[in-house]
Amino acid sequence: MASSSFFSFSRIPAYLSRTTLKRRFLSSRCSPFVRPPDVAQLAESARISLTANEIEEFGPKIKQVIDWFGQLQAVNLESIEPALRADTGGSDNTRADEPEIFGNREAMIAAVSSYSEPFIKVPKVLNKE
Amino acid sequence: MPSPIQTPKFLIQQRWLFSKPVRHGVNSRFFFRHFRASQLISDPVTLAPSSPPFSQILTIREALISRQRKAVEIAEEYFTRLNQTEPLLKSFLHVSENVMRDAEEIDKKIARNEELGILAGVLVGVKDNLCTLNMPSTGGSRILENYRPPFDATAVRMVRERDAILIGKTNMDEFGMGSSTEASSFQITANPWDVSRVPGGSSGGSSAAVAARQCAVSLGSDSGGSVRQPASFCGVVGLKPTYGRVSRYGLMAYASSMDAVGCFASSVMDAAILLRAISGHDTQDATSCKCEVPDYTTELVPKDLLGSEPLKGLRVGVIRETLGDGVDTGVTSTIQAAASHLEEIGCTVTEVSLSSFSLGLPSYYILASSEASSNLSRYDGVRYGNQVLADELRSLYGVSRANGFGPEVKRRILMGTYALSAGYYDQYYKRAQQVRTLVQKSFKKALGEHDILISPAAPTTAYKIGEKVDDPLAMYAGDIMTVNVNLAGLPALVLPCGFVQSGDVGLPVGLQLIGSAFDEAKLLRVGHIFEQTLQSPRFVPPLVDGLTM
Repeated sequence: MASSSFFSFSRIPAYLSRTTLKRRFLSSRCSPFVRPPDVAQLAESARISLTANEIEEFGPKIKQVIDWFGQLQAVNLESIEPALRADTGGSDNTRADEPEIFGNREAMIAAVSSYSEPFIKVPKVLNKE
Repeated sequence: MPSPIQTPKFLIQQRWLFSKPVRHGVNSRFFFRHFRASQLISDPVTLAPSSPPFSQILTIREALISRQRKAVEIAEEYFTRLNQTEPLLKSFLHVSENVMRDAEEIDKKIARNEELGILAGVLVGVKDNLCTLNMPSTGGSRILENYRPPFDATAVRMVRERDAILIGKTNMDEFGMGSSTEASSFQITANPWDVSRVPGGSSGGSSAAVAARQCAVSLGSDSGGSVRQPASFCGVVGLKPTYGRVSRYGLMAYASSMDAVGCFASSVMDAAILLRAISGHDTQDATSCKCEVPDYTTELVPKDLLGSEPLKGLRVGVIRETLGDGVDTGVTSTIQAAASHLEEIGCTVTEVSLSSFSLGLPSYYILASSEASSNLSRYDGVRYGNQVLADELRSLYGVSRANGFGPEVKRRILMGTYALSAGYYDQYYKRAQQVRTLVQKSFKKALGEHDILISPAAPTTAYKIGEKVDDPLAMYAGDIMTVNVNLAGLPALVLPCGFVQSGDVGLPVGLQLIGSAFDEAKLLRVGHIFEQTLQSPRFVPPLVDGLTM
């Protein structure tokens, strides 16, 4: 079960007290099956250059939320089909396999930072060491 | 615990409604009928009688067609009000420079006796994550600061085609990630009822703008409650259509399996008109439904044509898990009073339990963060958006994104990246999708036994600015009433139904009505009758009351 350090309710009014919220909506269980999040590694994968300060600051908050996600591990979901999306849509919603030219191409190109017709210029790509 | 309703100033008139014996059918096991009027005694001296909400759209239309007023006059009235209240509220990120010109065009059309679109002369606010051709569209983010899209979102195009006047782009939590509009990278929007409080989020600007009558109606988006919760906090009508009812083309994607373009209005009639205006199949959105768009206004009859029990036979289910522990007692009482009102107008109200209700919240956040991490990978500063120059491509991506995204967006992308990492997909994303199946099934079952379900739209009224910014989980907890509806893709309507006293201020509370897929017509009909028969002070913030028509 989650320890009390996961939740800081100092600014939350009484009616959202730690006990009521925790019990009803935010129960959390640690999963033994997954490694805890490595924020620096995740930032690398997501191509976001975090500062050392941000890594330090985000770490506990991300860990707290991911631990909270962990409560789904304890639910029995055997033989439940995963739902890709809401089952409200129609079945066949494909369009003809024909290319369509976007009407406002000039405006699209004008939005590019560095355009050198017909290329969008980017800096060199270094291989990962 | 002391009731938050102490010296009520904005409470429901005519408490005699509750001292009458409440009629109930043999099968009604509902405990609300024991709710005592003495708990909500009003002071008749402080209350002014009020007429029910009216349609701003139809009023404007009537005034234009009868030549009583010009579009330019009407536009000026809203514009003046916007300018008077904006320094305090900051609902808008961009105000259109073309408002008067657009209004003149409408007047010219009228002079030429041309047919007018249903939204002629109506001032519409647009949430900043909907692309607009001639106005910046930032999504509330620095990475898109000054970005002007080369196209209109379909919903925006449809509103323009019906002669609406787009008054501006409203403030929002960055890319829709937030529940208070405090995560906007540009400014914080204040709640018109109490400017020290949040308007809700992520469509806080759109909601505040309608509440403050800065515009007549507005467009928002709802992926986890982002239209419904701010509607509740600001005392306006908020509608989230069925997933697939309105095209998402041009809506900056956050959680593609749950995003929906939604409507804000000051009356159910206006929400119905706006919904009809933006609904329909779009070849540009493969998830949009090919089904017909009904005229949502035909069943919204005027109040005097309603009988004494206009909703007789309607089966309403109160979601048990939404009242009780963890919900503000003032909100609970107000919703209970709303349920009693529904009984008074003929509904059969019973409790229903949705078994997987509490799992919906973590499931939603896993799915939304995961989908967001993928959707936001397009913001790399290369083809559009703000770029930070670098020697090498990976740094260009890394620094442009680090510079352009705010902290909440960064955190959610990282959480989503984690949940989708190799080896973790089964633990998180897949399990969340399985929970989604459970949530869909439990709604289907409940809606098989009831016509509509009701609940609060949020567990509290609007909280103070700054109260929850440092605690993400506390912020997420506020979405408990709304996320399950997004997981199931169902339509939901939020109506202001009462107030909770907080010091000197009465803060509005919204009632959420949930219907079956594509059953917006029923929701709007019930909502309209509820709104027209509710005895309540006007849902117009004191700040604005002197300035409104």
